[in-house]
Amino acid sequence: MTTSPPILSFDGVTKTYGRTEILRGVTLDVPSGVFTVVYGPPAVGKSVLMRILLGLEAPTDGHVRLRGVDVSATPAADRNVGYVPQSFALYPHLSVRENIAYPLMLAKTPSHEAEPVVARAAAMLKIGELLNKRPDQLSGGQKQRVAIARGIAKRTELYVLDDPLAGLDFKLREQLVEDLRALQQETRASFLYTTSDAIEALTLADHLAVLDGGRIAESGDPERLYREPAHARTMALVGFPPTNFLNGALEMVGEAGTPHCRTRLFDFPVRLEPGTVVGSGSVTVGLRPEDLALGPKDPSSNHNASDRLRLEARVVLREDLGGEEIVYLDCAGTLLSALDRHHHHRGHDGLDGRTTVAIHPRDLILFKPGSGERIGRGVAGGGGTMGFRQ
Amino acid sequence: MNETSWRQHLYHGLLWLIALLFFMPVLWIFLAAFKAEGLLVSWPPRWFFTPTLDNLRDVFARPGFWSYLAMSFVLSIGAVVIALVVSFLAAYSFSRYKPTGTNFIMFLLLSVRMVPATAVVVPVFLMYSAFGWSKTFHGMLLFYAMFAIPFSLWILKGFLDGVSERYDETALVNGGSRLHVIFRVVLPQVKPGLVAAFIFNIIFVWNEFLFNYLLGGKGTTMIPVLLATGVNEGGSVDWTFIASLSFIYMLPPILAIFLFQKYLLVGMTFGTVRGEV
Repeated sequence: MTTSPPILSFDGVTKTYGRTEILRGVTLDVPSGVFTVVYGPPAVGKSVLMRILLGLEAPTDGHVRLRGVDVSATPAADRNVGYVPQSFALYPHLSVRENIAYPLMLAKTPSHEAEPVVARAAAMLKIGELLNKRPDQLSGGQKQRVAIARGIAKRTELYVLDDPLAGLDFKLREQLVEDLRALQQETRASFLYTTSDAIEALTLADHLAVLDGGRIAESGDPERLYREPAHARTMALVGFPPTNFLNGALEMVGEAGTPHCRTRLFDFPVRLEPGTVVGSGSVTVGLRPEDLALGPKDPSSNHNASDRLRLEARVVLREDLGGEEIVYLDCAGTLLSALDRHHHHRGHDGLDGRTTVAIHPRDLILFKPGSGERIGRGVAGGGGTMGFRQ
Repeated sequence: MNETSWRQHLYHGLLWLIALLFFMPVLWIFLAAFKAEGLLVSWPPRWFFTPTLDNLRDVFARPGFWSYLAMSFVLSIGAVVIALVVSFLAAYSFSRYKPTGTNFIMFLLLSVRMVPATAVVVPVFLMYSAFGWSKTFHGMLLFYAMFAIPFSLWILKGFLDGVSERYDETALVNGGSRLHVIFRVVLPQVKPGLVAAFIFNIIFVWNEFLFNYLLGGKGTTMIPVLLATGVNEGGSVDWTFIASLSFIYMLPPILAIFLFQKYLLVGMTFGTVRGEV
């Protein structure tokens, strides 16, 4: 990750509408020259945050620093940020060429300088043949490409893309995601992108920020956020299918007081995070669906390895995603979801849908129930009891 | 021909019949403008006759006709243009800034259209007398502008509400000023609404008689007043004068309606079929 100063910083940004608090002290540094994604569930305030950055709304409290300067009171026109809105907002009375050239026209760029910029943006977005058309002659995907081209035609080093692929069909989104990645790598500009799609966020982000409950729950390298979430909400939001959460109790067992977690389904030893001071008490245990290995025929699961927790389960539903399946399991009354990438081995379900599930304890992450802060992770062995709870 | 087709033909035939029935008086006036005086009120009406331009020549030669016609154009176009500029800016403010009580204000504005003109004659007359605006050109111009503003504002606000604020924001973020947004981004998108408001209001001012008669002086008289006051010249009703002046006076609005009929449809539906223009 880059060590250069952030191009953009939100410092305790709060926004309230009447009595409704949308943003509660958002603090986030956006690194320069990378693809940053602000990800969060719908209606969590992502667009509000972008509008504050763009100068379209004023923060109730806090500051926005752009290129090291506090721009909290700077008019939108003076912030020099490229913008791709969620709705295409292509001017219907202008041609595609004029729409793309619009930021350049406002900047009073001479036409002999603007024309190559327009041509280059159009070529990057593969819309060169549409330049003389009107927006109402374009399909949804073409309109979005034009909107992106207009956004990047602006001469700046920070581009804001506010959920630009929302509402487009899956194939089109896939294609545009690839194009956006390529675009950022080609321009080496800073892209700030918002989305409520977990897969889109993970695919695009060099730097991922999870916005939840009006705050940034966590930010950083997407791989780290996925594998080592520091917060239960990060684990809940980042990833698909959604994470399984179980209630558990943390106990100190043995003379050495080894931490041990008990859930309705299994017990396992725990390694607490360094510096964590936690006594016995309730915990939340997170388990990603892909970490549940189904049946002994799963070739990658080491299903019968002695360090696995094993459960008996009944398959409630299989949801086919094409290359994989989401399998909904009833484990002694607790509903878990698993991701089955080997569903062509489906023979491992019994006649009544019974199967076995193996889980490695290290895939179990423990969080404080109230704050959601991560406190530890399961470990194999470790001297405590381990296995299926009868 | 199937049953549905028959029904459709019957329905269309009925509509044509009703339309012709309502068009009859207009046709009568048009034909009368070209009839000799003796044929004009003959019974049964003469549909076939040798047309004459004498009636029109008489009207053109009548003292004051050209100045009255010019005043009709100047007051109608001038007042409506002023009204549209004011209404468009006001509609933008109401649409984008949504001041407290916007809905109530819009209701009040619409309710102005429900008050009969005669109900406000006395207060307006007193006000104009107090201001010294009676019988003045600027007084009439402002009066008609004032009368045209509520309806124009109502129509234009509907259109502006239909133009997404994302357009404004995209322009602002890209360095545009608010005036740029208003006149270069939003205005081109509400052109049908502006044309509709223009046509509706110009028809109103063009045909206005009461206030022009009561508030206007010799220098601000429009054709409808000439039409009313010139009827009895010579002692009896001058039907050829009525017919030929009405014919001349109806031509400009009919032409405007013909040219801009699609915008009128849009205006009557308050922009709901804007996309079809």
